Amino acid sequence: MNRKEAIQAIVKEIGTSPIVSANGYISRDLYETHDRKENFYMIGSMGLASSIALGVAIKNPKIKVYVFDGDGNILMNLGSLATIGNLKPKNLIHIVFDNNIHETTGGQPTNTKKIHIEKIAKSVNFTIAKISTKQRLVKTIKKIDKMSGPIMLVVQIQKSKKISNRVQIKPNIIHYRFKESINN
Amino acid sequence: MDERIQRSLYDYFKKNGIKNFVGVPDSTMKFFIDQGLSEKNVIITTREEEAIGIGTGFILSKSPTLIFMQNAGFGNSISTITSLVQLYNIPLIFLIGWRGYLKNDAPEHLGFGKIQNDLLELLSLQYKVITKLNWKKSCEWAIKNIKKGNPCVLIIRREHHE
Repeated sequence: MNRKEAIQAIVKEIGTSPIVSANGYISRDLYETHDRKENFYMIGSMGLASSIALGVAIKNPKIKVYVFDGDGNILMNLGSLATIGNLKPKNLIHIVFDNNIHETTGGQPTNTKKIHIEKIAKSVNFTIAKISTKQRLVKTIKKIDKMSGPIMLVVQIQKSKKISNRVQIKPNIIHYRFKESINN
Repeated sequence: MDERIQRSLYDYFKKNGIKNFVGVPDSTMKFFIDQGLSEKNVIITTREEEAIGIGTGFILSKSPTLIFMQNAGFGNSISTITSLVQLYNIPLIFLIGWRGYLKNDAPEHLGFGKIQNDLLELLSLQYKVITKLNWKKSCEWAIKNIKKGNPCVLIIRREHHE
């Protein structure tokens, strides 16, 4: 499964739940496959997707808040996992698309070939699952209500063959439409 | 800045609609943070950028937020300020502790203390240095700014060195 396939499989199952998606190819793939006002596309500030989503999750406890993150991205802000694990938002679902590389910058290796992010997350109070097939991914998302948050799904993906377009929406519009899409 | 004013600063913001206080501690504003902690209304983060991220999530949820940090942490945050706060128009109030304001402050603070205000100017981030006399007016100014959708900075000076 590549990232785009994984993203499509997830978004089909989660209705209007907000998604905070990390910069780089993750936001581009989400934009190209499922542009929706509930998507907060990051186009910079690498590493902060889970922090932004944490803020949204704390203020909106009745809705599930998704993070679409990457291995390189979360490795830049591992402290975020400790903060999330300490605050324990039940409604935060942190999905890490793990390809062991910084794909957007040219495929340089990250540490996740030898370091297991899900083990770090588990030690700071996340409920975790590691997933490598689309079938298992869909199954897990369908029964996500039965898992207790914060949840981290590490989804193993292959490098994409085709690059998605850049997000064409202006950042302040991304901000305002996302804000209006949440009824808190 | 003395304890009484620091505590009043927190109370003022809270009374005027600031719901969240997120940041990395700085001894310069110890009593400000204490006042929030006593109400269990502070989130302490591992790094300053993380605080800005969480604050952004609060703003996206229409919940007014103040981010506090030492100026060293402001240095850490510069690219987050340009590529998230300013790029997406996220109206946060930053409260920044000015270490290196005194020439005899600890040596690690002198370099940044010297360039701090120039950096704020370069970033076109509006700021005010708060004092015993102007603190209330400065807070009013900050609240007005975020209501207009603009991020802004209040600076609190480290006025003693031990």
